[in-house]
Amino acid sequence: MRDNVKGGALTEVTFYILLSVYSPRHGYMIMQFIEEQTGGRLSLGAGTLYGALNSLQEKGWIEPYGSSEGRKKEYLITAQGKEIAEKELFRLQELVNIAVGIMQQPS
Amino acid sequence: MGKKCYRYFGGFLSVQETWLNKMAEKGFRLVRTGKMLYEFEACEPGQVRYCVEFIGQKREDSAAEYHDFLEDMGYRVFYKNINLNYSVGKIRLRPWAEAGGRIAANATTYNRELLIVEKENDGKEFKLHTTYEDRETYCKTLRNPYLFLFLLFAAMGILMQSWMWGIFAVPLLVPVFFYQMELLKLRKQAKSKEW
Repeated sequence: MRDNVKGGALTEVTFYILLSVYSPRHGYMIMQFIEEQTGGRLSLGAGTLYGALNSLQEKGWIEPYGSSEGRKKEYLITAQGKEIAEKELFRLQELVNIAVGIMQQPS
Repeated sequence: MGKKCYRYFGGFLSVQETWLNKMAEKGFRLVRTGKMLYEFEACEPGQVRYCVEFIGQKREDSAAEYHDFLEDMGYRVFYKNINLNYSVGKIRLRPWAEAGGRIAANATTYNRELLIVEKENDGKEFKLHTTYEDRETYCKTLRNPYLFLFLLFAAMGILMQSWMWGIFAVPLLVPVFFYQMELLKLRKQAKSKEW
């Protein structure tokens, strides 16, 4: 599955990575964050995470944070990344509202 | 108690990985690698786990960056050669590699085609590639060197009208076919599942 950028639908991996870097985090902390938040349901391999971080950086949704002096590279979400994440939140909210309206109406 | 083993696995990455994991289960963890050498030291049986990854397609700096990233994750990482070649001034063309990595020399990426990654065993499965999309990409990087060599030898055979090249080309179809099957399987699963 891939991110549907035009339609706004992100993959779970992309969305969780964006959420994890609302405050600066390095690779290991991102992995931990996602595992904890999903209760271990989503556990990313280091190679997959590395590829995802690079592609999000190329898209300009995240950027390296702080000086490159420190060995562990940290990432932070960009303004563009926040915009994408917010759009996804609204899309999901709309979806949930419609679903609740249809699925939970008294019959 | 240390232990030295001499093995050569060539392109059989999963065989190498399985062997390293068996050694770890017996209580040996890697401390050093050479061309054919694997040097171990004693550890608790099953204390560590291994993954072997092909990185021959990477540029020198991106290979180093990936190496450091994995170390930052808390893993121990070793470079390993995939070929058995002792020449000093080796330069090899890798048209299947990413831009900037297509000329491999001893000083850059030649003889550093593999990473052996060691993780402290936490009881969970140790995999470097977990989403279907990413596994598909990785499978492609494993297939492409074989596919390129096959096409090259096949083209040489046709151009020079010599069956000799065919003898080189045909065995390459085995890994190409193997990885292609795997690739199609992953691609199919990637349509409906993310990981």
